[in-house]
Amino acid sequence: MAASNQPGALKRLWRGLRTPSRFSLGALLFIGIATGVIFWGGFNTLVELTNKEAFCISCHEMKDNVYKEYSENTIHYTNRTGVRATCPDCHVPKEWVPKMLRKIQASRELYGKLVGTVDTREKFEAKRLVLAQREWARMKANDSLECRNCHTLTSMDKEKQKPRAKKSHELAVKNNETCIDCHKGIAHHKPKGMPEEDE
Amino acid sequence: MKVRSIATAALLALAGSSTFAAAPDWGKVPAAKFTVFYPGASPIEWVTKGTEHGGARALKKGESCASCHHDETADMGKKIASGQKNEPKPIKGKAGAIPVSVQAAHDGANLYLRFSWKQPAGGADKMDKDNAVKLAVMFEDNKVPRANLSGCWETCHADARTMPDGKDDKKTKYIADGSLAAAKFYDLIQWTSKGAKLDGYVADKRVMEGGKALVDAKGEKKGDEWSVVFTRKFAGGEGDVTLAPGKTVNFGFAIHDDHAAGRYHQVSLGYTLGLDAKADLTAAKQ
Repeated sequence: MAASNQPGALKRLWRGLRTPSRFSLGALLFIGIATGVIFWGGFNTLVELTNKEAFCISCHEMKDNVYKEYSENTIHYTNRTGVRATCPDCHVPKEWVPKMLRKIQASRELYGKLVGTVDTREKFEAKRLVLAQREWARMKANDSLECRNCHTLTSMDKEKQKPRAKKSHELAVKNNETCIDCHKGIAHHKPKGMPEEDE
Repeated sequence: MKVRSIATAALLALAGSSTFAAAPDWGKVPAAKFTVFYPGASPIEWVTKGTEHGGARALKKGESCASCHHDETADMGKKIASGQKNEPKPIKGKAGAIPVSVQAAHDGANLYLRFSWKQPAGGADKMDKDNAVKLAVMFEDNKVPRANLSGCWETCHADARTMPDGKDDKKTKYIADGSLAAAKFYDLIQWTSKGAKLDGYVADKRVMEGGKALVDAKGEKKGDEWSVVFTRKFAGGEGDVTLAPGKTVNFGFAIHDDHAAGRYHQVSLGYTLGLDAKADLTAAKQ
């Protein structure tokens, strides 16, 4: 048996890339750009698909627990002006890089889904505090970025707020606090056994 | 002659005592408006628990209850009386809040307080069969920690009788670390529609007697309007806060309306009472 003189796959690929093509430069550019647009567009379309409320509540873990609470009677679901904040508005950053980082982080939720970490109400309640604390920590770390996409302390007309809201916002400015420091549990139930230091 | 002298001396002695204190002309005394509201089961433990009450954060930073809630007590009372919040056993027909006009004056030796309000609709089961209405006032001399912020709430606890977690039917108001000896107490006076005039205090427990400052408490109902007038000496004895011109004390009041008892009252937030001093309620010399 004679040894094969066929080069390895990597070597063949490298050689192919270095060898002039029989296609014109224009054709290559067109094919390259078209392929890039298709892949990039497809990727972003997929990302946006996973960034919709319908996707979030396609899992019963979200639909039957946190979404149900949010849609019962919260200011971000129904309000006087009819503006609604959906799941990704609060839980996914808008800017591309932070959004991708959040998506990568969120991929662990797929594992949770596969192994059924919170697939019953009891399991969800048992884990609610940990899940909530994780989200509070994320929002605290980014200075409540998702809240601030719509609300800012400087654009508030505090004279139009109720006295307790006015007072609280003045205190927040004075103490350099961020939205999530006070506004926990505004869209979902607060976890049972929540420690005082979390409030 | 001798008889006349004795009579004159007795008259002078009586005139000098506060039993002869002359009530001011209330038509000339300005009224401050306070709204008492139904607090349900919202003891100090709830007030200070941040996971339950968002205002706990502001309270810890030195904000008073009134600084946030003064203008919304009626809404709070309505929400609680309806059972939407902090009331596991809503009472049918219970008024959420009662606006009360309060007038205060003094004559250099006595404080006069007049409360008037319109009787709200009621009709609940009579918890206190003897008294259609009771009105209590508490004073505090800036000795109980946080009393200047939370008012009477320092005396209101989750384990008191009629509270959902209250197991002891004899346990009423008290202050954590309350002590008459250390002057950590609330002075308490109460008028009841049956005619009682009570002068006591709240320290480690509530005592409804023994005070020596209350001179008189009178109340009446004309049409659908109640009015209650207290006459109180500046100084009394044990469990009596000493008042003086220029001094400001913490005060709050509560109305047990519609034969209510225990926690089922209408309460004010914590306010200040100043004698010739600027406060939420000022008693000027008449």
